[in-house]
Amino acid sequence: MKGVRHKEVNRMSKKIVSTGRGGTGKSTFVALMSRYLNPPSLFIDLDPDLSLADMLGIDLTKVGKRTIVEALYDAVKERQHGGSPLTPVEDRFKGFMWGDCLFEGKGFDVITLGTKDLEGCYCYPDHLLRKTISDLSKNYKNVVIDSPAGLEHLNRNIVSQIDDLFVVLDPSDKSLIHIKKVKAILKEVGMMYDHFYLLANYMFDEEAEKYFKEAGEIYLGKIEYDKKVEEYNLKGEPLNKLPEDSPAVRSVRKILEKAGLI
Amino acid sequence: MGKINVITGRGGTGKSTFTTLFTRYVHAKPLLLIDLDPDESLAKMLGVDMEKEGKWSISDALSRIIAKGKNGKGKDDTPDLLRRMMEGGEIIYRDKKFDLITLGTKFSPGCYCLPDEMIKETLRNINKNYEMILVDSPAGLEHLNRKVTPDIEDLFVILDPSDKSAKHIERIKYVTKGVNITCKNFYLVGNYRFTDEIEEYLLRTGEKYLGRVAYDPLVRERNLKGESLFKLPEDSPSSMSVKKILREAGYVLI
Repeated sequence: MKGVRHKEVNRMSKKIVSTGRGGTGKSTFVALMSRYLNPPSLFIDLDPDLSLADMLGIDLTKVGKRTIVEALYDAVKERQHGGSPLTPVEDRFKGFMWGDCLFEGKGFDVITLGTKDLEGCYCYPDHLLRKTISDLSKNYKNVVIDSPAGLEHLNRNIVSQIDDLFVVLDPSDKSLIHIKKVKAILKEVGMMYDHFYLLANYMFDEEAEKYFKEAGEIYLGKIEYDKKVEEYNLKGEPLNKLPEDSPAVRSVRKILEKAGLI
Repeated sequence: MGKINVITGRGGTGKSTFTTLFTRYVHAKPLLLIDLDPDESLAKMLGVDMEKEGKWSISDALSRIIAKGKNGKGKDDTPDLLRRMMEGGEIIYRDKKFDLITLGTKFSPGCYCLPDEMIKETLRNINKNYEMILVDSPAGLEHLNRKVTPDIEDLFVILDPSDKSAKHIERIKYVTKGVNITCKNFYLVGNYRFTDEIEEYLLRTGEKYLGRVAYDPLVRERNLKGESLFKLPEDSPSSMSVKKILREAGYVLI
């Protein structure tokens, strides 16, 4: 399954997706990735439990940025209260999207999906994001997506052509089953990828590593346990303050080198 | 009407482990378990192989019904068909201690709104047959937006030691309020990675904190190998701590 056509059309931007079961360290991996990717990059947090911005040291409320869900609420409200019924919600949303949702930082920009408090699923916000990603991605060398825990986001096919898909694993049989399910869903919904990489999280020991090396996929290595990461995540401090030589940062660098991203 | 208890939390905190030990030690008969996680790991932890038992998940059953519908029988009676499958025993696993229904993995594009809706409908029909229902949730928040269980007796939030867990609590409250899910008791449970210092930190959230699930090398080992947690020794750290937590919440144990 090679995304050949995509490479010809949009050679400029690499689509990178980090996924995995909950609590494995997807956002930590993505946050540390932000140090090394060639700028400019766009980071998209697809998790309603948004934590990526915190880890990147960005307080979105403080800088006056809104989430996709909030912008969507605004668009709906505007239409209900006196806006022209001829302008579809989607077009209104697009107007909000650029100015209100896109955080512009040094070297990378950030967009977050946000938390919804209405009944129903995330299909519509995800759909809007899917449409805008193709517009947005032209401006970036890398588009990096941090996924919510689990599998459902894959069924929504937000990026149909992925360059590098990283699955962050915890040391359990459930992770092995998870890998199989990810592949089955990608195939059925028609998402293509160039590389499917496995990453071990900080909880792995050698025995567990061996177990996953035999999973038949490309195993890129392990993100080392890092006391500082644990401490920072507990206190909600940004990970960009971590020193270059801390175990987690060094292992992410090594992994990205192996994947040819640095 | 069976009382509905829901176990939720961020990913990897130990929701299914807690649910499994909850099932093992609570005195409730008959007891229904629902695994709402597409990554379906609860059955394995309970020592049940649904496939081997010839049981379908709700998602499996739905795709079968839809495939059949495409072959000519176009009438949309999905809930009825599903009810018949339930009565026929194809989507419910029955054990001495519990019955089990699983959501399963969906492989077609879209969301889990329909399978979740089917579980909701099923629950309305069979709720009266049970004394208690335990729902093991998928990681994250989206399942709450779907309001599968509008009236919860006890909501257990399993926490990992991070600032994200503190924010997660706020978001659960935000979503449940928005979609109008009520729960009588809102309980916090710390996971095996908690320390005293962290416990203190989360106690400040002002919610009812029941205690923490102790670290247990046996749980780690069995989860790595995909073995059942139902036969852990009675006096293992995880068993002891879950029993203590349940007593704290006022449950009668076996």
